[in-house]
Amino acid sequence: MTTLPLPAAGVPEREMSAAAPRRSRREVREITLIVATALTIVTVGLFNHGFMSTQNLRFMLLNSVVLSLVALGQTLVIATRGIDLSVAPVMGLTAVVTGLLAQSSGLPLVGAVGIAIVLGLLLGTLNGLLVARLAIPPIITTLGTYSLYSGLVFVYSNGTQVDSVPRAYATLGNGFVAPFIPVPIAVVVLAVALLLVWFMLNHTRFGRAILAVGNNDAAAYNAGIGVTGVKVRVYALSGLLAAIAGLMFVCYTGSATVTTGTGDHVELQSIAVALIGGTAIAGGRGNVVGTVLGSLFLSVILTALVFIHVPPIWYSAGEGLMILVTVTAGMRQNRGGAN
Amino acid sequence: MADPSNPGRNEVTARRRNAARLPLDGWERSLLVLLVLLVAGLCLSVDGFYPGFAGFLALTENFLPFGLVALGLTTVILTGGIDLSVGATAGLSAIVMAELWSGLHVSIWLAAVVGLLAGGVLGAVNGLIITRLRTEPLIATLATSFIYASIATALAGPSPPAGFPDAFNLIGTGTLIGPIPLQLVLFSVLALLFTLLLQYSTFGRRIVMVGYSSEAARYSGLRIDRIVLSAYVISGVMSAFAGIVLAAYYSAVRPDMGDVLLLSTITIVVLGGVSIFGGEGTIAGVVIAVLLLGFLRQGMLIAGYSDMVTTMLTGAILLGAIAIKNILSGRGTGLAALLTRIRGRRPATTGSAAE
Repeated sequence: MTTLPLPAAGVPEREMSAAAPRRSRREVREITLIVATALTIVTVGLFNHGFMSTQNLRFMLLNSVVLSLVALGQTLVIATRGIDLSVAPVMGLTAVVTGLLAQSSGLPLVGAVGIAIVLGLLLGTLNGLLVARLAIPPIITTLGTYSLYSGLVFVYSNGTQVDSVPRAYATLGNGFVAPFIPVPIAVVVLAVALLLVWFMLNHTRFGRAILAVGNNDAAAYNAGIGVTGVKVRVYALSGLLAAIAGLMFVCYTGSATVTTGTGDHVELQSIAVALIGGTAIAGGRGNVVGTVLGSLFLSVILTALVFIHVPPIWYSAGEGLMILVTVTAGMRQNRGGAN
Repeated sequence: MADPSNPGRNEVTARRRNAARLPLDGWERSLLVLLVLLVAGLCLSVDGFYPGFAGFLALTENFLPFGLVALGLTTVILTGGIDLSVGATAGLSAIVMAELWSGLHVSIWLAAVVGLLAGGVLGAVNGLIITRLRTEPLIATLATSFIYASIATALAGPSPPAGFPDAFNLIGTGTLIGPIPLQLVLFSVLALLFTLLLQYSTFGRRIVMVGYSSEAARYSGLRIDRIVLSAYVISGVMSAFAGIVLAAYYSAVRPDMGDVLLLSTITIVVLGGVSIFGGEGTIAGVVIAVLLLGFLRQGMLIAGYSDMVTTMLTGAILLGAIAIKNILSGRGTGLAALLTRIRGRRPATTGSAAE
């Protein structure tokens, strides 16, 4: 079937008509995730009271911060109908570079933040240029840069690894905002990132452009959107968020190795979490709040598996099953909403 | 005129038309020239790369399992899908075989056949999830790869079986007719079979048609679900075969032994000229890409470069090759468009606005 070309004027109209049901679907997804997370916590907590302790709840929250940051960027990329596999080595490279500099030459935290920002934007922009300028499909582009960037980690670290970080770093990763406010700083970092990305995606022209490009980039182009620029900026943002996640990782765990990020398949996990959160792989729809809730849900499920004494070898199966169930159920839900 | 960098839905058809104008065998010919130059260069510059004809052929044993997976993955990618579970499937199938042999004392040959069947079943699970639940191939096979990996680890236990019978190990290390490795014979036969299957049979035409336009395929009465399902079964069986060959090569199995296969194999298939969107590509291109990347990797390893540096180079080659392909066919903007203008052609993709 040949799809008739949409006249330029028709594009915003189509966008708007799609926006109305999207809102309700999105809320349903968020409520479902919150309920599922709460149910898991309560159910497992009934059998093992340690699971509901403040300490464990805080641990699960902290544990989801790194993945949430990566997944926020991934959500933006997927919303443009792209995919970013290179987030894992970008995260790993930042963790290794900042961690090693801090360990060996006492790089101040401000410097580490600066390095993370520059590295992330640089590597992300390269992805964006390859995707938008040379028209290389995103999955191939980021597969290629995945190899390139993970090679860089290896070359830079040269066999050494990060074993400990200075006090300032550890405070950023594990400390509280103030002795009398038991809110982890890392959670505040995530909250700020979430707020910024959420505002950008839902309340700015750039955010509308991201969704328009994901919906139909030819139509977006005809509607006067600078598609190339939007794509480059989205991949740059994804790189930036992955790099910040890398810095948070090294601060939180105090360690970083050649396989940081790539070893845990953060790229696949971040895609999974974005989809669990209600972002459509076909583009045009992005739910950043859902992404963070999905990441939290994953963290709770994985910790629950530890508490109910499931052998560690089954963790990844649990993760796979969860992706399958939530994404398939979510698609049913969406189809139901559309009809 | 639409921005040539934007493959919107309407533009895909225009792009395909453009791709048809690009002589596909031109891509394969370039790869072949590159392969010959590379092998000649490595022979001359790297000591130990050519230790005699037999030793040279034996180098292929290190990378032909990648080729086996690539053949199956090509089938899936031609339908417009993707199979991220190839590595996990290879590992799980090999573990199934090894456990049958060591735990239940089944003959290794029978166990190997069961391993292949297991690969088919795992592929069928992928295919059913994709066709019945309408889950995106990327998500479905991502999820099943996690699940298969867990099952493989659980089955393997703390000390996976090793030390298979010598006759079986010959699959990975043996030679046939003088110095020709058995692996190379197997790969050649299978590559020929896949060429016949995908390019000269009705089934192959249908696979390509589904990938080219599943809507057109549906309107011409094809049972798309069945065709897609069989592509994933083929991919599963080929992954299992690669797992078994690896098991024979090392005379051991490990649940994560297939992990290295995934990214390299996708690289091979794409470098071989198969469109990641489906409906375009040949087995000949994939075979040349297998040899090209394989010899490059072996050459660099022999020359003393680390595994990571060769991985990096593989990534760079993938990007460079696709970038050059896009520039030559007039896709892309900026540099690509500039070169197109220098070559005196207007940008090829005019998209929906021109229709």
